[in-house]
Amino acid sequence: MKNIFLITKREYLTQVKKKSFVILTLLAPILLIGFGALIAFMFKANASSSTFHVVDKSGIFTGNLKSNSSVTYVFVPEQTEKALTSTLKEMQGIEGLLIIPKLENNNFDQLEKDSKLLLNKKIGFDTKIKVISDLSKVIKKEKIKTLGISEVQIKDLDKNFDLATQNVVDKDKVDSDLDFGVKSGLSMILMYAVFMFIIIYGVRVMRSVLEEKNNRVVEIIISSVKPFELMMGKILGVTAVALTQFLVWITMSVIGALVLNTGFSTLKNQIPGGENSEMMQKFDLKQIAMEISHTLLDLNFGLIIFVFIVFFLLGYIFYSSMYAAIGSAVDNETETQQFTLFAIIPLTLGMYGSFTIMSNPEGPLGFWLSMIPFTSPVAMIARIPFGVPAWQIALSMIILVISTLLMIYLAAKIYRVGILMYGNKATAKELWKWIRS
Amino acid sequence: MLKAENVTKTYNAGKKLALENFSINVPEASIYGLLGPNGAGKTTFIRIINQITQQDSGEVYINDQKLNPHHIKQIGYMPEERGLYKNMGVGDQILYFGELKGMSKADALSQAKYWFEQLEIDQWWKKKLSELSKGMAQKIQFVVTVLHRPKLLILDEPFSGFDPVNANLIKDQILQLKKNGTTIILSTHRMESVEEMCDYVALIDHAKKVLDGKVFDVREKFKKNIFGITLSEVNEEGFNLFKNQYEIQDFKLENNLSSFNIQNTSDQNILLQELMKVGKIRSFDEKIPSMNEVFINAVKQ
Repeated sequence: MKNIFLITKREYLTQVKKKSFVILTLLAPILLIGFGALIAFMFKANASSSTFHVVDKSGIFTGNLKSNSSVTYVFVPEQTEKALTSTLKEMQGIEGLLIIPKLENNNFDQLEKDSKLLLNKKIGFDTKIKVISDLSKVIKKEKIKTLGISEVQIKDLDKNFDLATQNVVDKDKVDSDLDFGVKSGLSMILMYAVFMFIIIYGVRVMRSVLEEKNNRVVEIIISSVKPFELMMGKILGVTAVALTQFLVWITMSVIGALVLNTGFSTLKNQIPGGENSEMMQKFDLKQIAMEISHTLLDLNFGLIIFVFIVFFLLGYIFYSSMYAAIGSAVDNETETQQFTLFAIIPLTLGMYGSFTIMSNPEGPLGFWLSMIPFTSPVAMIARIPFGVPAWQIALSMIILVISTLLMIYLAAKIYRVGILMYGNKATAKELWKWIRS
Repeated sequence: MLKAENVTKTYNAGKKLALENFSINVPEASIYGLLGPNGAGKTTFIRIINQITQQDSGEVYINDQKLNPHHIKQIGYMPEERGLYKNMGVGDQILYFGELKGMSKADALSQAKYWFEQLEIDQWWKKKLSELSKGMAQKIQFVVTVLHRPKLLILDEPFSGFDPVNANLIKDQILQLKKNGTTIILSTHRMESVEEMCDYVALIDHAKKVLDGKVFDVREKFKKNIFGITLSEVNEEGFNLFKNQYEIQDFKLENNLSSFNIQNTSDQNILLQELMKVGKIRSFDEKIPSMNEVFINAVKQ
């Protein structure tokens, strides 16, 4: 036991003291935010605003068709149509000429047919859609006027049917759409965290094993401690490294959130008008925030955290012992690839399978994925925010504990032989032989 | 101190024989050489003592106790493939290995200090291993091996990687350890490098022990009664007479010195008397075979 602790300590200290670790830990969140900002900037940079001349013979658009951030409409008198059409080719800063004919007998179809947009260069699909929607809105209002109904009535017509569900078995189990969204989001975040954690740090265990093997340090250590102690110490050491990294990131994001929060409240007042304000009216942000936090508070956090930690750690140990065995069985990093596939595929299956879990948390796929130990660390965590029957959690946990112990046992057997084998890559047949020996 | 009885070890489910009925007896406070070509089974035997692998049959005893995990702390092992952590400080590394062998930190520290002074490397404590040369790293490796005051020291190819000066330094330390009561097993395929240090040797070839015993006895056993002679001022007549009596081998004439070998099983003093008649004796010695020659002859038999 003391040896495991010593090995864990060394593994932890050497990894944490590495310059690359410090830099990555501190820079990763900044890089991530920077990357997001860059992508947002790229979208922005590509967006351009267009300006069109509008000849409105019908008279209904003048004053109603309003310029906005992406399209500017400049109304010009009817008489200039010909001159503008001929000079459009050479015109700078003006992308086109929108010609709307006279409206006769309230025949809007005819008006639509005869309207045209003359262009002197290509415009984006987005711009076209925007122009169309702007025109449609004006036409709609005009049509409403001719029909003689009020706007309020129209809004009423557009209203969606909202169906409230009620679970007669369990009163608390009624999920509003928002609840469902919040839970899906939480489930996604937790699942991704486990998935990334296992892959990134599992590989780190493998690298560390490989490094010792290539350094030939392993023979000296093995003459002082049991291979099993070395393997466990290594896995635990890397776990501690990962937890440290998590802790730093969580602290950083909490501080970041606090800093941003003060900045954000001033920003909110500056959000430009137009459609956005309409949306804001519809969904009161405050109300949403309250409902989200309400849903979050309603969740059984004790259980979620407990299940998360248990499945996360067990799953991680399950997979990293697999990675440790892989690291011991090969000679260099390039050879690890085909073996790591064995470790990644089931995990990936579990994750993609879990996407369907979100649409039906109690379906058969969800059940089986959260029982099979290869996928349960991801799948059970994906299910847990939706509520899982206690017996299923217990059963899955028992299966996972047993198979983790089994995996450690098998990995230790491969590891024991593998770390002292140099020069030749182990075949699957040989691995089997080592396990049986 | 260490006794092996009929140790047999196979690999690949019995297909490859690594050691067959191997028995040796290593006396306390002696230097015991395990000599043999690469792949003879030396490292396998060492790994069995270190309990890295287990024998299929046979038994190993340390101080009449069956080999068990408690013995690990009394053994210091320097493997042939040297290895230390490259990006770890020298000092941290030494303390780590000491602690793994069950030493307290303070004890490991004071021992490390002693050895750093002995090997004149005390300015290296804070350096990373990757900053050291290969020879320097070898010294650190040696310190790691002896730090926990092992009663049994096992050195696999101890001098590979050392320059002659440092090889001598290490050699002196090994002899000093022996004087202090440590039992030492040296394993090597370069027999000439250790033969003058060893008290006992065992020759291994193809998984079997070829012969063992005191170095002196082994060499005596294989000597062929050949004498090397160098004469000056040889008189032609006497030499011709002498040639009729003895068979002369490898005759060489250089700088007016005649040197040759003679196989002689009778009294050496008579031979000397005969030689005195031929010329002035520059040198006269019995050719005792080197370990290399012993090994080649033993394998041939």
